[in-house]
Formats: sequence, C-alpha cells, structure tokens
Amino acid sequence: MAEALTLDAFARWLKQFAETVHDNVGLLTDLDSAIGDADHGTNMDRGFKAVVSVLDGNGFESPDALFKKVGMTLVSTVGGASGPLYGTFFLRFGSALQGVEAVGTQELGKALRAGVEGIVTRGKAELEDKTMYDAWAPALEAFDRAAPEGTAAALAAAATAAGEGRDATTDMLARKGRASYLGERSIGHQDPGATSATMLLESAAATLA
Amino acid sequence: MIGIVVVSHSRPLANAAVALASEMVDATDLPRIATAAGLDEATFGTDAAAVADAVGAVDSPDGVLVLVDLGSAIMSAEMALEFLDPALAERVVISSAPLVEGLVAAVVLASTGAALAAVAVEAQAGLAAKQSHLQHAETPAAERADHGDAAAVCESPEKEAAPPDEGGAVSIEINIAMVHGLHARPAAKLVSLVRRFDASVSLAHLSDGPPSRRSDAASLSQVATLNARRGDRLLVTATGSEAREALAAVAELASREFGEAATSSADGVTANPLGRSGAGDGASASTGSGLDMAVGPALVLEMEVDTSGYMPGETAREAARSVAAVDAVAKALTALRAETARRIGLAEAEIFDAHLALLSDPDLLDPVKAGIAVGNSAIEAWQRRLTEVAARFEALDDAYQRERVQDVRSVERRLLSELLRAGAADAHATAADAHATAAGDHSTGVATAVAGGGEGAAEGPGIVVVPELDAATAATLDVEQVTGIVTRQGGATGHGIIVAKSRGIPVLTDAGERLDTVRQGTVVGFDGRTGQLWISPDDEQVTRIRAEIESRRQNRRVAVQTARQPAVTRDGCRITVTANVTSVDDAVAGLANGAEGSGLVRTEVLFGAMRTPPSVEEQTQQFLAIAAAMDGQPITIRTWDVGGDKPLRFLPQPEEANPFLGERGLRLFRRQPGVLVDQLQAVCRAARETPVQVMFPMVSCPAEVAWALDCLAQAASRDGVGVPDGLHVGVMIEIPAAALAAGRIAADLDFVSIGTNDLTQYTMAAERGNAALTHLVQALDPSVLRLVKLVCDEVPPAVEVAVCGDVASSPTSAILLAGLGVRELSVVGPAVPEVKSALRRTSLSHAEALGRQALQAGTADEVKSLLVSLLTDREARA
Repeated sequence: MAEALTLDAFARWLKQFAETVHDNVGLLTDLDSAIGDADHGTNMDRGFKAVVSVLDGNGFESPDALFKKVGMTLVSTVGGASGPLYGTFFLRFGSALQGVEAVGTQELGKALRAGVEGIVTRGKAELEDKTMYDAWAPALEAFDRAAPEGTAAALAAAATAAGEGRDATTDMLARKGRASYLGERSIGHQDPGATSATMLLESAAATLA
Repeated sequence: MIGIVVVSHSRPLANAAVALASEMVDATDLPRIATAAGLDEATFGTDAAAVADAVGAVDSPDGVLVLVDLGSAIMSAEMALEFLDPALAERVVISSAPLVEGLVAAVVLASTGAALAAVAVEAQAGLAAKQSHLQHAETPAAERADHGDAAAVCESPEKEAAPPDEGGAVSIEINIAMVHGLHARPAAKLVSLVRRFDASVSLAHLSDGPPSRRSDAASLSQVATLNARRGDRLLVTATGSEAREALAAVAELASREFGEAATSSADGVTANPLGRSGAGDGASASTGSGLDMAVGPALVLEMEVDTSGYMPGETAREAARSVAAVDAVAKALTALRAETARRIGLAEAEIFDAHLALLSDPDLLDPVKAGIAVGNSAIEAWQRRLTEVAARFEALDDAYQRERVQDVRSVERRLLSELLRAGAADAHATAADAHATAAGDHSTGVATAVAGGGEGAAEGPGIVVVPELDAATAATLDVEQVTGIVTRQGGATGHGIIVAKSRGIPVLTDAGERLDTVRQGTVVGFDGRTGQLWISPDDEQVTRIRAEIESRRQNRRVAVQTARQPAVTRDGCRITVTANVTSVDDAVAGLANGAEGSGLVRTEVLFGAMRTPPSVEEQTQQFLAIAAAMDGQPITIRTWDVGGDKPLRFLPQPEEANPFLGERGLRLFRRQPGVLVDQLQAVCRAARETPVQVMFPMVSCPAEVAWALDCLAQAASRDGVGVPDGLHVGVMIEIPAAALAAGRIAADLDFVSIGTNDLTQYTMAAERGNAALTHLVQALDPSVLRLVKLVCDEVPPAVEVAVCGDVASSPTSAILLAGLGVRELSVVGPAVPEVKSALRRTSLSHAEALGRQALQAGTADEVKSLLVSLLTDREARA
C-alpha cells in the first residue's frame, strides 16, 4: 500500500458527506418522519455543518485529534440519537488511529470496525433491529473481503454492501429507538440511520480511494 | 447530599420537572440539581458533553443520580460517563426511572441526606403510586382480593398495639384532614420528618375494617401509594430507639394538617403580629412582642462555659469524645437550621451554615486531633484551636468579617458544653450526678447559664443580658420567658441580632459599661426605639415603662385591627405602605399585616440558597407566587443585589479590596449580563400576568439606567414581545451621586426607591456593619435626610418616590419621610400596621413641618429627639 491516507483526504471525506447530507435533508427527514420523529435530516445536517466549520477553522496534528474533535462536535450539536451514535463512531475511529503513522487499508478497516463496535455498544443494537448497524455490519465484512485489493476496492465494496443492508431494513420490524414504538407499522419503511450510514461509506469511497 | 442531573430532549420540560420536584421540599433541604436538556431553549436534543458538565456541577463525594427521558438522552448520559474522570463516573448512577415521577421521588429522598443507592431505588419505585392508583380504578375486584390477602399477611397485630412497654412497637392514630388527602407535598413532609428519627415508622389504613397493608413512612412512593384521602384515619406504628419521638412529631405534623392548612386557609390571617397566641402552637408562639420595649429582671448569661469540672480520660477516650461532640453539635445545629428555616426564615437559617462549616473544617479538626494525640484533653485541644481561629477573625480588617468571630465562639460554647456533658455522663457511671447531666443537656447556653447562675435566677419572664448575642442563642430563646435582650457589645448587625429582631424580640445593642452594675435579677428596662436604658428603675419608672408598653400594645392592637385600611393622613394624603419580602411566606404575612403589595422583593435572598442560577421559569413562578400571596397587589422586584456583603453561590466574584465600593448590584452585570437578562425575562413574563414593578440596585449615573433599560428591552424581546405595558420601571437611590442627579436619573422612569441603609453608609462613608461606627451610621442624620428631600424635589412630577430602607419601618420616621415628600414606604411586614396607623393619626402639614425642622437640625440625635417628642406629644394627647 504505497499511498497512505492524509489529513486532507479525511477532511475531504467529511466535507463530501456533509454535502451529501445537506442535499438529502429532505430524504432523511422524510424517512424519519415515517417511523421516527422527523429530525434525522435536520439533526445530521446541523451536526455536519458544525463539523465542516470546525475543520475549516482548525489545523490538526493527527487523524486521531481530528476525529476526536469531529466526534465531540457531533455529540454537542446533533441532538438526537445520531449524536451519541455518530459521535461515538468518530471518537472510536479516531482512537483506533492513535499512534498510527500511515493509514493504509488495514488500519482504515480496523478503525471502521472500532467505530462500529462503539455504535453497537452505545445503541445496544443487534442485527435486524432495523438500525444503522444493519448497514454497517455487511459493510465491514465486505471491506475485509476486498481489503487485499486496496483501499479503493475495499471502500467500494463496503459502500455497496451497506446499500444492500440499508435496503434490507425496509422489511424489518423496528426494535430500537423511537421507531420501535410503532411496532408492526414500522415495516415497509427504510431506516434513516442505515441510509445516512450508507452515505458516509459512499462518501468515503469517493474521497479516500 | 447527593446531586441530581436531569437529562431531557427539551429544556422547558427539564426545567418544569425540576420546578415541580423542588416544590416538594424546603428550599433549604433541596439537593443540588442540574439539567442537561435541549440543544438550546427551543431545539430538542441531548448533548453528552453537557451531561458531563452537569454531573460535574452537582458532584460531591455522595454521588450523583442521573435521570433521563428517552432515546438519545440515555445514550448521551452513558457517553457522558466516558468523558468524566473514572473516579467521578464511579459514583454516578443513571436511573431508568420515569423522569418526572423518578425526579420527584429522588428529590424528596435526597433532601433527607439519603445515600445514592437508596435514592436510586426510590426513584425506580416512582411509578408505583400511579400504577397502584390506576390498577385500583381498573380492576376493583382484583384489588379487593389483593387487599384481603395483604391484611391477612400483615405480620403484627397493631390493633392491640397501644403503647406496649417491652420496647416493641408503639402506635398512634392520626386523621387526614386535608382537602386533597395525603397527597405528594404532605407525603413528602412526612417522609422527611420520619427519616430524622432513629425509628422505623409504618402507616396503615384504619378507616375500613382491619388495617391494610403497611407502608413504610420513610418511602415517598409507599406513602403516596397509600392513597389516604380526607377523612381517612391512619395507624402510625413505630419501632426503634426514637419511636416515641417520631410518633410525637408525626402527631404534631398531622395536627397542623401537614403544614397544608396555612397555605389553603381562606382567612389568610396566619401571622399574628402580636405573637400572643397560646402556648403549644410552636410555630406562631415563637414571636416576641415586637414592641421594642421591655422591663424585667435581668437574666445575666455568662457566655464562658465553666470547664473546670471536666474529667479528662485517656487519649483514646478523649479522641472519641471529641468526635462524638462534633457529631452531636453538628446534629443539633442541623436541626436548629431546619427549625429556623421553618419558623423564622431562610436567610436566618443560613447563618448556621457557617457554624456547620467550621465543624467540618480540616483546618480546625486536624490540629485538634493532633493536640489530643499528644496528650491534651479534648477540651484543651478545642479551646486552644478555637482561640487561635477566633484571634484570626478578630485581626481581620473588615468589620463585618470580624463580627463573624461570634460564630466561632458560638460553636466553641456548644462543643465545650457537649464535651462537659460527655465527661459528666462518663462520670455518671461511677458517681451519680444526674443534676450535672441535666444542666448540660441544653447546649443552647441559655438554659445552662440560667440554671447554673445561682441566685434563684429565672422566675417568670426576664431580660437576657449577654456580652454579645450569637444566632444559635437568639434562635432558641424561649420568647415566653425572654421579653427582651440587651447586649454589651457586638453591633446591631450581628447574626444574633438579626435573628432576634426577626423574631420580634425587643433588643438594645451595645449597652457597654452601662451594664456593669447589672447582676442576676437586677431589674432593667429599655426602649429599643429611643435607645434608653433604665437600670434598677424605681417603682414610678417601672410603672411608666409598663404604661408605655401597654400603650404601644393598645396602639398595636388598633393598628392591627385597621391594618387593611389605607393610610390616609388627616388632611387626605394617601401614603402607600408595602412590605419588604424575601419569600412567599413573607408575602403571606405581609398581606395579613395589611401591606399594599411589596415595595422590595429581595431576589438575591429569595434564590440565595441555590447553587446554580434559577431558570427563567423558576423565577417567573416565584414572582407569580409572591404576587398571588399579596392578593395580586403590585410587587416590586429588585434585580440581583449581590456583591459587598451579599455574595451569591452561583455568581462567584473575585475578591475586592473594598467590596462595598466595588462591583455591587447592577455594576456586577456589566461584564456578564446573562444572569440579569434571564431575571428580567422572568420579570417581564410575570408582568404579563400580574402588576409588577422592577427596580435596579446600586445605580450611580444616568448611563447605567440607560444600560439597564437596554437589558430589559433585550429580555422582553426574547419572548418576541415588547416590554409589558403595565411594567413599572425604577431604580434604587442609594448612592449620593444618584441622589444628586435624581432628576436626570429618573427622567425615563416610573419610580425611584431610596435605599436608606446604603445611602446612609455611602453618605457618611461609614460601613454599616462596623460596630465601631454605629454612631455615624444613622439614617436620620440631617445630611441623609437632605438627600432624601432633594430626590423628592428633583424627580419629574410623575415619578413616585419610595423608601425601602429600615428607617421606614419606624412609625415616627415614617411620618418624617412623608413630610419630606416620600409617598410609598416599604417596611418589614410586622411594622405595616403601626406605620399605617401613625400616618393616619398625623396630617401632611404636620409631617412637613416636622420635615423642615429635621432638615434644620444639626445632628441625628437632634432629629431623634424631635421624633421622640412627637411620640410623647401624641401619647400625651391620646
């Protein structure tokens, strides 16, 4: 793995994702209004706008410092459940990169896994609870399978797998979060968290390759 | 006491839940509560970092309970623990209790000092009341069956349990007389009461058939689940070493309708200004005559505790006695604090915080411990250390601080008495000396001194003569026995004097060497209004003093009867007489005394016990409660008047070389307007519901008025509407510069209120707390009066001039102030009837003549004699 990921690349990833979220505020909110409290789009948009301004306003010495800042920013600005979930993801993602000199495919994979484990710990979600974990879990597997082919291939595979996982949430019965109050009525709607998680991986595939 | 954090998506929701729960307990017992709710006032959301901050803000070694609403609140709370220092995080419990029910239960139990684990369990059980109630409604048959079972398994047959003597259970029956039954607030009182005793207390229904399942009276959830309604009878059973005491206290609480009667009674006359209600009614009997005059035999209190009879034990025994004495004194002071808060007031109760702080101060405890370890007796070690500390206080430059040495001496007396008692109790085992034990039993100092004073001291009521008066003594004096207090020294602003005055006990301070000839039983008489002191007065003098007291009492009686009528002078000038208020209770009492609203709501006292700034909503609710207690008459809210001698816990200030000339009152907020603007927002909200006036303290120039008005506009705009039309705006005039510029300062205002206490200290450049300068700190000094007159003359015609300083509370001074042009007097509640009555009996032209004479006088003493002659003239005419 000749090329290691740079701080600039990480910043591009987050900015790209922030843009995607912004462009899809309506979609995310609509998905959430069907089964939740209709704030996922606006919450994520507010959180990642704050992230972008933090990235623009500060220089960072290392990826773990950058992601720690990103995580704390999300914790304090998102407001809804995605605050602690994405916040934890980036905090753990950053911690996994602590002391890493060059971030290659393997290191990226480890960081992603650490972040997702954080999400699982935080949200206590299991597979098929109709949460973002249903997108993350297959994505991690796909990433690892494609890892020998390099970062670009691994991220592309992860994004594709996340999309499939996201689509599969439509038929699931929600067992976590506000959607779980709807019971059977949650079936037939795509999970907004799985949708934004997929976007995050798609942005990664587009910027970190 | 544990701290509590409320995590919610919504800030208003969290604040309202806290307000609701806070109502359950006395403000003095309220645990620290912080909220982490919403991303801002209007945006729903939770923030793990804010939760971590909130936990840090209320943390103590006792731990923190975190209550959460739902979803991200739970995750944010968990995440917050990861942000915190692991040692701190270890003493945090996140509760899965329902937010509102759990918070209410937690606040009540926490207020009793219960441990974190117990509070967490209680919060968890917070749903029980609701569940039980609704199941009861839905499934009456099931409930009945359950009831039967419960009765059957009821372990011990209390039916026959009238006081058995073998140390088992004792029981009494109480009636539930309150309209709403034993609902949450009285239940909370019951719970916190029984938890004070070393007894386990249970409740059971007696009303229909056999006693029902027993509920633990120390558990709010269980008491509330009892569903005791009006007319129900309950069996109260207690076991344990203080079982009888606990039952007596419960009976007393029940006889007062759990304290609910006062708040719901329609007649409103809950405060009897004469304080002459029959003995036995603890709450109202604790008021002195309020007549400022007394005559009777002296009860000379030697405040030195005689330690010569102390029998030191070996080192370990002394160490144990010391620890036990500290515990006992702390316990007694805590009880005294609670009692004082209930009977007298929060501000007075807080005086004991200083005493309690001393008892836990390592700076005191460690040297004492070391002293005992090297072979000193506990008494020697304590005396040595406390003398050192007292000397440190006495060396302070600041007079107010210096007077705090009284706190040290008071603690010393209590500790030494307690050690003596412990020593005597130990000796008791070998040589029975019940008398010594009994004499030492009252660590109030008073009973000890009087009983030990020889010369057959206390026969009927008398006048306490003390070197100086500490707050503990002042709070515990039996007003049936003590008709007056004379101090040798200590100034008029010591804590003890403040407490005594607020209890209505006549006081004469700083009598000095005039007391040298006074012995136990010497007859003394004094008049606090004129400063006269008679020692061994002859029969004729005594008759005259008694006649004057009787005449004052008659005047008082007439005044009280007519208190509700307006104060209109004989020639038709209406003077508004309002009350100074620091609590809702003050407002209730003020209304009963005939106050026409409040001319001064001291917000820094009202919220003074809080460790975090009160929210806008909390403040609004308090203001509305005070207005309601005043029957909807106008209330004048003074914005935070902090600094100088009045710090606020949630507004820490840097030390200043000269705090009275530093960032006091309005000045303090120039650099941090947030807390002020919050308060003004609450003022605006209250003003939209009820007549409200707002005034800013410590204004020195017109620019400050303009800045204050900007803050007000800013606060009003937060709610998207302008400054309410009915809101009257004014400032306090308490700085000579402001008095001299009154015309310009008042140009855009509705009123000004002269704070004569500060105006006097700033005019005379003599600090009001400095006992050495009492001769200068005279509000009746002609220079001060000229400033008052100037303000009355200079303000625009439509601007009302009020006075809210102490001087307004004296009936004769009130006439003088009216004569100078003041049209509203805000006075201490109990003074309202007499001030009104005095104004009714005079004419404005007479008052104005008096004013002119006073302005021509050369000294404060000359003004005083003018007023005394007014008094004697009138008494002669009457």
